[in-house]
Amino acid sequence: MTGENVNDTTGDLLRVEDLSVEFRTAAGATRVVDSVGFAVPRGGALGIVGESGSGKSMTSLAIMGLLPKGGTATGSIVFDGKDLLAQRESAMRRIRGDRIAMIFQDPLSSLNPYYTVGVQIAEAYRSHRSGVSARAAKKVAIEAMERVHIHDAARRADHYPHQFSGGMRQRIMIAMALSMEPDLIIADEPTTALDVTVQAQILALLAEIRRDTGAGLILITHDLAVVSEVADRIVVMRGGRLVEQGSVEDVFSDPQHEYTRRLLDAVPRIDDEIGELRTTAIPVLPGMEKR
Amino acid sequence: MTDAAPLCRATALVKEFTSHGPMLSRPTTFRAVDDVSFEVFRGETLALVGESGSGKSTTARLVARLMEPTSGTVEFEGQDVTSLKGRALHSFRSDVQVIFQDPYSSLNPRHTVEGLVTAPLRYQKRRIPGGARAFTRSLMERVGLNPDHSGRYPAQFSGGQAQRIGIARALAVSPKLVICDEAVSALDVSVQAQVINLLRSLQRDEGFGYLFIAHDLAVVRQIATRVAVMSRGRIVEQGERDRIFADPHHEYTRTLLAAVPRIDPEWDARRREAERRRAAMASEAS
Repeated sequence: MTGENVNDTTGDLLRVEDLSVEFRTAAGATRVVDSVGFAVPRGGALGIVGESGSGKSMTSLAIMGLLPKGGTATGSIVFDGKDLLAQRESAMRRIRGDRIAMIFQDPLSSLNPYYTVGVQIAEAYRSHRSGVSARAAKKVAIEAMERVHIHDAARRADHYPHQFSGGMRQRIMIAMALSMEPDLIIADEPTTALDVTVQAQILALLAEIRRDTGAGLILITHDLAVVSEVADRIVVMRGGRLVEQGSVEDVFSDPQHEYTRRLLDAVPRIDDEIGELRTTAIPVLPGMEKR
Repeated sequence: MTDAAPLCRATALVKEFTSHGPMLSRPTTFRAVDDVSFEVFRGETLALVGESGSGKSTTARLVARLMEPTSGTVEFEGQDVTSLKGRALHSFRSDVQVIFQDPYSSLNPRHTVEGLVTAPLRYQKRRIPGGARAFTRSLMERVGLNPDHSGRYPAQFSGGQAQRIGIARALAVSPKLVICDEAVSALDVSVQAQVINLLRSLQRDEGFGYLFIAHDLAVVRQIATRVAVMSRGRIVEQGERDRIFADPHHEYTRTLLAAVPRIDPEWDARRREAERRRAAMASEAS
């Protein structure tokens, strides 16, 4: 739970310790992530949940070395024995996409509208695997598309992003991530923009990939029900701070922190009692009521 | 629960959109709403649920007269409002109000709360009861906002507070039917719960009917009296809320319900048990 000593866990794929992210503005430095720590074992699935402004996305961007301009991260992010915060940008570029893949909420803005999806998956692959021919890379792309269950992948590879539905585009992003055989997949709200039936398919696909490839997963989401179905560990964040962490079963069945309890109370259920949603006394942290 | 005459009745609504392709090619017609009929009664909430492209928002716009149907009728309090114009349309507009999904984009950023919530009255050239300031303050109190903030701008409020301004604006004209088009979808879960409770208590106090458009079935289950499920422009099934959730008849409704992610009910039960123990211990200690 809170204050758990991450140093005790050895052989972790990713270990984040005392991570803080600050932005320098004209008005001074703003700390958006404040001293968070957690670990992802090999093949493990960690869900990071929080409401808007909790710092969950900034935490994932810090891991990828993709903080927006003006943001600096301190602390340590040890991935497979290497401290990512100490890496040069060129080294990070090799790790990113290759060993750590990222899937975002909006696949359309991550895909280039002018190239076919097959070309984009193939080029992403070649940028990390020097000496691979275009033909071989195309083959990798088609195989990856088949693995995410896109029918008729060889033909669909020649289609442009706009010719796919939102759910299919997200499959393409997952195919792109998969083609590298990454050790860790970071998915930031990967199903938030999708219809509920499509969300169910994408979540099932992520579970299948974990099982088949043994890749670790960090799932960042605002949706507690999604985390409960996908992750085996959970980190609850609020206002840049880590509120509570533990196994999903422990945190959902006996939350230790008041905020987690209130959050779980506020989630409307599809199969639970109907009544006034309990919203009383969610303690407001300073600065949280602003957007 | 309901009196005999519906507040609002939609009958065989159809909305087609025609798109013109390249020159000389035949224009293609897309039927977004296809033979949709339903009734909304006073004091109840009819939820229109469906996935993107199901036609639920288009249906809402037809009912609010923000869009003309291709065919079919909308009746309000027994009167056909489908072809209202001029003064009669004005009066219909104050009976029916819409609350939209994104509070920031539906509130003019250059207007203060006072300007925003009194705008519907000014637009309809109606007298503001008790003056703009007092009127605004009383509305802000009703939706749980600090009335001292009536001079602030939308950007100075959080998402949940901005949505309360949207609700206050809808209440300003004392509507009979309120259409909520994904009104709580963009809100954080704790804020969403507060706004759902607010909508429910306002309905208890005012007795108005809600047409509640949403894609989130868990939210719908908390607020709906009856549910209509839409798919590809049609209502595939409608009925009492508990019947729809417990015993869905249509295959599509079953698929939709099965896809909703769930927190293990056993974990929930253990959590409540732990909470009860904690509460018992706290009361013993005091």
